[in-house]
Amino acid sequence: MPASWIFLIVVVLAAIGYVLARGRALASAQGDSRHLHSLPSYYGMNAALLTAIPALILLGLWLIAQPVFVEKRAEAFIPADAYESAGQLSLMMSDVHRIAAGLDAAVAQGVLTEAAVTRLSAADDVRGQLGKVGVALGSDVDAAELEAARSFRSLSHTGDLIRDGLVVLLALAGFGWALKQTNKDFRARNAVEKVIKGLLVLAASLAILTTVGIVLSLLFNTVEFFKLYPAKDFFFGLTWSPSFGGGSELGILPLLWGTLYISLIALLVAVPLGLFAAIYLSEYASPAIRGIAKPLIEVLAGIPTIVYGLFALVTIGPLLMKAFGEQGGLGWMAGGTAVMTAGLAMGIMLIPFVSSLSDDIINAVPQSLRDGSLGLGATKSETIKQVVLPAALPGIVGAVLLAASRAIGETMIVVMGAGAAAKLSLNPFDAMTTVTAKIVSQLTGDADFASPEALVAFSLGMSLFVITLALNIFALWIVRKYREQYE
Amino acid sequence: MYDQPALEKKLDNDTIKIAASGVQVYYGEAHAIKDVNVQIQDKTVTAFIGPSGCGKSTFLRTLNRMNDTIDICRVEGKILLDGEDIYDPRVDPVQLRAKVGMVFQKPNPFPKSIYDNVAYGPRIHGLAKNKADLDEIVEKALRRGAIWNEVKDRLHAPGTGLSGGQQQRLCIARAVATEPEVLLMDEPCSALDPIATSQVEELIDELRTNYSVVIVTHSMQQAARVSQKTAFFHLGNLVEFGDTSQIFTNPKDPRTESYITGRIG
Repeated sequence: MPASWIFLIVVVLAAIGYVLARGRALASAQGDSRHLHSLPSYYGMNAALLTAIPALILLGLWLIAQPVFVEKRAEAFIPADAYESAGQLSLMMSDVHRIAAGLDAAVAQGVLTEAAVTRLSAADDVRGQLGKVGVALGSDVDAAELEAARSFRSLSHTGDLIRDGLVVLLALAGFGWALKQTNKDFRARNAVEKVIKGLLVLAASLAILTTVGIVLSLLFNTVEFFKLYPAKDFFFGLTWSPSFGGGSELGILPLLWGTLYISLIALLVAVPLGLFAAIYLSEYASPAIRGIAKPLIEVLAGIPTIVYGLFALVTIGPLLMKAFGEQGGLGWMAGGTAVMTAGLAMGIMLIPFVSSLSDDIINAVPQSLRDGSLGLGATKSETIKQVVLPAALPGIVGAVLLAASRAIGETMIVVMGAGAAAKLSLNPFDAMTTVTAKIVSQLTGDADFASPEALVAFSLGMSLFVITLALNIFALWIVRKYREQYE
Repeated sequence: MYDQPALEKKLDNDTIKIAASGVQVYYGEAHAIKDVNVQIQDKTVTAFIGPSGCGKSTFLRTLNRMNDTIDICRVEGKILLDGEDIYDPRVDPVQLRAKVGMVFQKPNPFPKSIYDNVAYGPRIHGLAKNKADLDEIVEKALRRGAIWNEVKDRLHAPGTGLSGGQQQRLCIARAVATEPEVLLMDEPCSALDPIATSQVEELIDELRTNYSVVIVTHSMQQAARVSQKTAFFHLGNLVEFGDTSQIFTNPKDPRTESYITGRIG
């Protein structure tokens, strides 16, 4: 029976439990819900949760654990001398999966009986027979593979059967226990609320565990990369020239330089514009203007970054070419894609980010400080410069750092606006590339996943992750420190 | 029932510092101040009393045009400071506020050092020629604010780190540092404990020798203790204005009597 059926059975049991427990609780109070400890629906909920949750947890765990176990057992049938690397073994195992699926299909369609499957040997035309039921195999089936597939099948079947039985049993046990508990003095509400709280904790920890999982997967691949490529050359290498034929130089410095250079230009655009916009909106603008301008600026934040990339490619690049390229007579710029192009587009993207965060922070400065300053005969501008901004400064710095970590992680604008050449150059009109853009180019396409040229993407990602994490922590620390100042 | 009013000290000066006539204040449609006429003497403490929402703080804020910062607020009538209309379009509210300082209900030190808090006004108005001059101004202001002895060893510590009473005295010192001619105080003691309150009250009495002080207060005892003149506001009207001793011992208006005896308000 497929797992979805079991799931359905458990859910139906839980629903029945709800109705029964609710009725039972009411009956124990002679039909008067005022004599119950909790509202009747809590008794129902308690039964439903007790029936469903342990059973579903078991089902989930089983679904994760069984394939791993079965895979290991089936692998044992493949002789160790039949493959050379882990990659080859996994290819063979996917053959085994196909054979097993094919045998299942053959039995289901009546082409083979169960007894015929056990009698099957490598000498029979297994490939041909499975071809008839619509499962095409790439090669002929050898004895070891057939044996592994048969064991895979039978183990999976037995496992499924045990699973079905255990899950239903557990659901029934929960069902029975809940009904037994149910009487008018049982504190059903407290029990249900405890379970709900547990579910909330579970949701929160899942998010955290996922983060940990992401970091771990990056970390393992990074370690794998450093086994193949010396860490010193990676961190201090001045050249980035990957070639899948081997002999590539994978220094992170040109990429890091590109990332920081583009981010710097983006921040030079975004911070003054965003900050001035925020000051205007929070201090000078009338409510009517604020009501129109603030949402309009925030629309910028909703534009997908690929659109900014297009804007960089078709508008900013050609404009810059006219001013600084051959046509402009300066000849600083060789092509439309350059650090400046991507930096300007990214800067525009970050304006709403800086302005709306700064706006919130400036608004959080108490009115009493402004009154105090105005009451001493300061002008509005003096008040903003000497009281409001200094009070908001740490928060604004935090906002800028958050914007910086977004700039560092940005990909699409760079891919479209900055070019693909990894270069260490000071000229802002040169094409350059960034860490993120190179992660994309190293992992897309048909790369061999075990080569340093592909694995380098993970260590690039890890380096980026560490940099942005440090920036974020620094930003949060600053923001938190400043919060204490008015209180 | 009340402490002895501070009337024994003879008023040094009978010149009129501020003369308000026919003042009306509107918040949008709401008519907050109705036709108030009042004359505030120099070197005198004038107290505004009245129940909450009677308009005494609003009226106080019209005296240095702090109401300008509120968009929907509109002021009509004439307010003369030394004979000049402060609502004349030629008057710069910024310069006016340098002459008419203000201390607020809640202590509001800037998130700067104690020194910078006090030096803020003098720096803005260019009152100091050099650093030594500024040091002197700051020390003088802090002494007048009766807080010098407590902070002289930590002038560069943040002003926000002081206790509530100290913060309020710092704010008074900050207001005094710009050498105003009139000092407006909007319930300066409402956030303070009795000890800090009595310190601030003593300070107000000291300040009277140099400035004209206008204080809004909820506490009738405080009005009786610190002021020589008292104005009673009720529902936006100035009900009665006169010598403090007369208002508290022999009020002319039945509403004033009801208020000071605790029957309304």
